[in-house]
Amino acid sequence: MKIDISKHIFRAYDIRGLYKKDISPEIFYKMGLAAGNYVKNVIHGRQIAVGNDIRQSSIPLVHSFIAGVSATGINIIYTGNTAFGQTLFKGWELKQDLIAFVTASHLPPEWNGIKFYYGDGVGLPEKELMKIRDFTLNDDFDVVDWEKVGDVESVDPKTSYKNFFKSKFKFNKKLKVAIDCGGASTTLSVPDVFDAIGLDTVHVFCEPDPSFSKRPSEPKSENLTVLVDAVKKNNCDFGVAFDGDGDRSVIVDNTGKVLSADETGIILGKYGLAEKKGTIIVNVECSKAVKEQLEPLGFKVKQIPVGHTFLTLEAKLEKSPLGIESSGHLILPEYFLFDDALVVPLKIAEILDNNEKTLGELAAEIPTYPTKKEVIDCDDQIKFDVVERLKVELTKEFENINAMDGVRVDLKNGWVLIRSSNTSPIIRLTTEADNEKILDQLTMQFMDKTEEIIEKFKGESK
Amino acid sequence: MTKLFGTNGIRGIVNEDMNCELALGIGKAWGTYLKKSLIRPKVAMGTDARLSNHMLKNAISAGLLSTGCDVIDVGLVPTPALQYTVKEKDFDSGVVITASHNPPQFNGIKGIASDGTEFSKDVEEGIEKIFFEKNYSLAEWKSVGKLSMWDGAVDFYIYGVLSNVDLELIKDQHYHIVLDCGNGAGCVATPILLEKLGCKITKLYCELDGTFPGHNSEPVPENLGDLMQKVTEVGADLGAAQDGDADRAIFIDEKGTYIWGDKTLALAAKYITKEKKGGTTITPVTTSSCFDDVVTENNAEVIHTMVGSPFVARKMIQKNAIFGGEENGGLIFPEMQHCRDSAMTIAKIMEIMAKEKKTLSELIREIPIYEVHKTKISCPNDKKETVMRKLAELTKDDSGVIKIDKTDGVKLYVENGWVLMRPSGTEPIFRVYSESKSKDRSEELALKYKRLAEEIINSQ
Repeated sequence: MKIDISKHIFRAYDIRGLYKKDISPEIFYKMGLAAGNYVKNVIHGRQIAVGNDIRQSSIPLVHSFIAGVSATGINIIYTGNTAFGQTLFKGWELKQDLIAFVTASHLPPEWNGIKFYYGDGVGLPEKELMKIRDFTLNDDFDVVDWEKVGDVESVDPKTSYKNFFKSKFKFNKKLKVAIDCGGASTTLSVPDVFDAIGLDTVHVFCEPDPSFSKRPSEPKSENLTVLVDAVKKNNCDFGVAFDGDGDRSVIVDNTGKVLSADETGIILGKYGLAEKKGTIIVNVECSKAVKEQLEPLGFKVKQIPVGHTFLTLEAKLEKSPLGIESSGHLILPEYFLFDDALVVPLKIAEILDNNEKTLGELAAEIPTYPTKKEVIDCDDQIKFDVVERLKVELTKEFENINAMDGVRVDLKNGWVLIRSSNTSPIIRLTTEADNEKILDQLTMQFMDKTEEIIEKFKGESK
Repeated sequence: MTKLFGTNGIRGIVNEDMNCELALGIGKAWGTYLKKSLIRPKVAMGTDARLSNHMLKNAISAGLLSTGCDVIDVGLVPTPALQYTVKEKDFDSGVVITASHNPPQFNGIKGIASDGTEFSKDVEEGIEKIFFEKNYSLAEWKSVGKLSMWDGAVDFYIYGVLSNVDLELIKDQHYHIVLDCGNGAGCVATPILLEKLGCKITKLYCELDGTFPGHNSEPVPENLGDLMQKVTEVGADLGAAQDGDADRAIFIDEKGTYIWGDKTLALAAKYITKEKKGGTTITPVTTSSCFDDVVTENNAEVIHTMVGSPFVARKMIQKNAIFGGEENGGLIFPEMQHCRDSAMTIAKIMEIMAKEKKTLSELIREIPIYEVHKTKISCPNDKKETVMRKLAELTKDDSGVIKIDKTDGVKLYVENGWVLMRPSGTEPIFRVYSESKSKDRSEELALKYKRLAEEIINSQ
């Protein structure tokens, strides 16, 4: 039986939609069939682990997904209501062929979705995700006979997850950490794990609250005022806030300053890695400070396109010690490849345990450069072509060009990145420079260039 | 007439007609139906031992949850254990994923009402109507249902059975029983119950296995050869077999002889009416007269219902009956609950043996013997009603007919016996049952009225 499914719920890194409008148990049943078919016929596996965040709508969605997978004859391990990291950890520990997590990450509570990882912790690349999309949209799957129906086993990951971190982290100091779970999925993991490894915790929104009524689940500065106050009031060594499912965390230093992902990444690289070698993976949006700070220590810094699936895949290929996504996904593959945000504050705690300086002092040593983000209107029909033309023209003009994801031009006193949006009729322009004056100048220069090309295209299409 | 729900719920071959799409849709229709009268319905869900249970359970619970029902998963349980839980723990409804005694490639969905009885036809029709019209009322994201687990249902049920029989008396007997669960849902409860009843247990096919490697799960003689043999081999006091979802029980006496369900039904009826010195008992029109004989002997009353345990159960509630059941081994003990209950049946039969200080074969020998004859006639579905009416009309003045009962089909009480002609609910046939103490008379009755029915069908 075919049902209407919007193609737009399938995005580059995951599947997302409004519950009851774009996604439903029926659609998740189909997606279960598609995922089962993908494991069976594309990667020739047998097992899927699945779990879900604490959103209320995750429950009917995950159960219909499980029914679909089981109908294709693929076995399921169900980890229950968990944080992102707990399900990923269990699937990775049990060497599943595919790990699925029902969540809409940081989006508002009326949203939901699902994301997929391989058993080694690498996120499914867009190309592979689109295979699951096509199976779903085309009803391309078979159900098995009664005796081959997949098993469903419930496994609680919480204890083994906690024990894993207990075996990896031991502190001499009594560190005090303010934790802000935003009432979301990490309420199920963070307080438990942090207490178990001996951190003194101050709780901010650590009670499960599936409607995210206390703060929006996106952990950006303006949503973290309560955490910042808690850090200062309780004299915490640092604070940490998590997004809805727990694949991104934001660190607040002891002075109450919210650190960017780049700053946190630099601190992890400078003080958290035993050996100062290997390739650190950063995406094209990361600050030039990353390279400036880490390359002199002995690391190589490699730029990759935006998207956490690239991050995990590239980190695996390069055997990287660290991966930094400017959106807040940070990975430390000495533990595992997947972007469980829990490792970040724990690593920060370890650094502070081994260091006399405060986090504020460590952060102050990192130079920050002014940045600017501009949006240029551009019709969907031409936006990709405009960026392609820019690549050609800018390559003629400039020496240091990276064209893997949009086009990034690196100059000696700054850089600019021009990318077309995947979802809206706009082109995004990001600039970073040594000072405000250069920043304005670079921004103007490349905006003009982009608009000039847009005009040319408009002219050609008339 | 319901299209999906048969006599015992919805049944079908897994991933063919019994698939997740159906289960998901039924879950939504069920939830929508419950939500019409309840704000936040609480539904208990359990399964038998089949391989496809988890798949279907996930699909149907997704449907229920999406309408805003809370679902409590009680896991793998005998059907009567779930029914007992629904009734005693104040659930609004119960779902059992089971195909009862059907072969392993089948599975099904059975609905339980808040009083622990199986769904009435009205409820089933209501759910089907919503399903076929896709008239679902789905909850918004913030009011979808919650799912939780409860693993206490089996223990709760076992203690229910123990509290409804003379525990000490049975324990004192130290009966040796051979138990054949047919690898079905009985495995999780019956061995524990029997242990608590002080029995020595010899187990046959008491390991859960959804492929039913021991034998097909309908407890008919051809499937219970091993059990009969085992009883004599180990010198047991009795043998008991349960069907796939453990709502029905069939017994083997100490000599290894298979006891038909109508005999067990009559045996229980006899001792219960004797003990209560009268009362009302309920059984379908198809049940052997041996039941009526033993009950009336104790000055108790028999009311006949349509075929199907939900009819028996509901009539029992309505008439405040002391006992009821079907001839297929589905016995209903109202002090426990109003549904077929094999564990209760096994415990009760042992209690009767203990009270009467007799062996099972001795007890069964006291039940009157009737010769039953069964046959069938093809008849198009659309003619069934007219044929029934004509049959009743034509036999009304038949001098041999003492009484006509039109509860379900046409049942004619004649000298030395009765004959029943009943349209099948599922196939284009009339079933003809006849019974008499004499085998010849029984056959003669069947033939005579079969011929009459054929004449009527042909004249239509």
